[in-house]
Amino acid sequence: MDLVSILATVILVTTIGTMIIGVGAYAAFKLRDKRKPKRKVTDELQGDKIINEPIFLKRYVPESISETSPDAS
Amino acid sequence: MELKRISRYVWAITAVVGVMSLMAYLYNHARAMQGSFTVLLENIVLATMSYYLLFFLFLLIIRYAILIFYSFMDHLEALYKGRKPTVGIYRDDSLLPMISLVVPAYNEGVVIQAAIRSLLLLDYPNYEILVIDDGSTDDTYEKAMAVAQEQDKIPVRVITKRNAGKAEALNTGMSVARGEFILNMDGDSKLSSNTLRACVRHFDDPSIGAVAGNVKVINRENIWSKIQALEYVEGLAMARKAQSFMRAVNIIPGPLGMFRKTVLKQVGGYDHDTFAEDCDLTLKMLMCGWHIAYEPTAVAWVETPSSLLNLLKQRYRWTRGILQATSKHSQALWQPRKAGVNCFILWYMLFEGIMWPFSTLLGNIFFAYVGIQYGLSTLLFLWWMQLTVLDVVAAAYCVVIEEEDPALIFYAVTFRLFYINIIDVSKVFATIEEWRGNTMTWGKLDREGKL
Repeated sequence: MDLVSILATVILVTTIGTMIIGVGAYAAFKLRDKRKPKRKVTDELQGDKIINEPIFLKRYVPESISETSPDAS
Repeated sequence: MELKRISRYVWAITAVVGVMSLMAYLYNHARAMQGSFTVLLENIVLATMSYYLLFFLFLLIIRYAILIFYSFMDHLEALYKGRKPTVGIYRDDSLLPMISLVVPAYNEGVVIQAAIRSLLLLDYPNYEILVIDDGSTDDTYEKAMAVAQEQDKIPVRVITKRNAGKAEALNTGMSVARGEFILNMDGDSKLSSNTLRACVRHFDDPSIGAVAGNVKVINRENIWSKIQALEYVEGLAMARKAQSFMRAVNIIPGPLGMFRKTVLKQVGGYDHDTFAEDCDLTLKMLMCGWHIAYEPTAVAWVETPSSLLNLLKQRYRWTRGILQATSKHSQALWQPRKAGVNCFILWYMLFEGIMWPFSTLLGNIFFAYVGIQYGLSTLLFLWWMQLTVLDVVAAAYCVVIEEEDPALIFYAVTFRLFYINIIDVSKVFATIEEWRGNTMTWGKLDREGKL
């Protein structure tokens, strides 16, 4: 068996092997993705309620204003 | 939506009927030569496949030749500009405009502090940092606030909001940014200190709407991340540089892109309808007539997936996201006169996104079949060899241009030997799922904190 034939066999085996691994890895990735816990309540289910909620959870108040605000005193 | 679905199936049926008609036509010709049906059919299929793969190989060689040529031209242009005396609007320190760095962060608790601290060391006199916590469930907000409170020189603002995706976080950043220019990046990126100065110079040209930065892999720890490092080097030093020469960069990478705020607002910021918001935004800017430059010396160091499944998750999202963005601007595909170079860019993206992975996979299956059936495994070896030679030449060129580690050239062989086969399978499945309209999620990668 000459060198080219050996290399050709190696490439053949590697190519088939990696394609099988590719399909297997893709299936594993999809399976792992499916098994992840999903959100309890989706945005769609909440409907208008979520749209009316403020986007910012914590109000940003610059320090200069917060020091002089009535709440501060 | 339903109409779109029907239209897709009509296209598929038309394609199948077309292929069958072609086969029937070829079969009639083959019958004239006389022989058994299976032998004739096999002959036709093998001949058709051989011609198709030859055509694909021809396209591939042309692609590499054009990209290397234009990329080299861009390199020469940069060298020439580097020698010219610097006269421009954005040169004098006192005149440098304010830049807002927008850092969207979702569950980046592991890396956010290192990311902000690296931003505080940037060499630029007038900038602010905006961290947009996209409703993280970990301690991202608290960690970012801790660094912000330490700061008194460079303004660091941390804004937290309900989780609505990266696009929405970047749009929030755009709306609260005070700078004339906005630099968008990822929460897990680390920028080179010259980034702001290097990028802002491009805006001397009023036709430039955005600048794409260079992205490099920081966690080169195993074979997966080392091959990705080579992929990034090739993608940027060759493809992006060539596109930059034509002033038509097709993707401003998420880890580093600088924009004129007015342009971002003009195109309406980031949309939520694709999973490759950076690609979509870039296409929107190109369609509006803005030019996009590439700055190779502005580097964002990023952490890439170091395990196979995480890598597939990333590539799956990229593939579907790019297809979604291309589909969104598909009207330009059929308007070469009106869309100009943008039409070419979209076709090129389809070539890389669909034709390339499908064809290499098809080639592998075809030559593996021929090897097993007829004992002609040498053909597969020659096919592999041709592609590997192209990869090695491209890798060697890119490593020299980017002054990268020469050891990366070796990974061009392993890239073709197994890496790209696995990735192509995933890309093909992602394309099929996108075509079928399967639902998908963002697919947040787990960070290891290598920055």
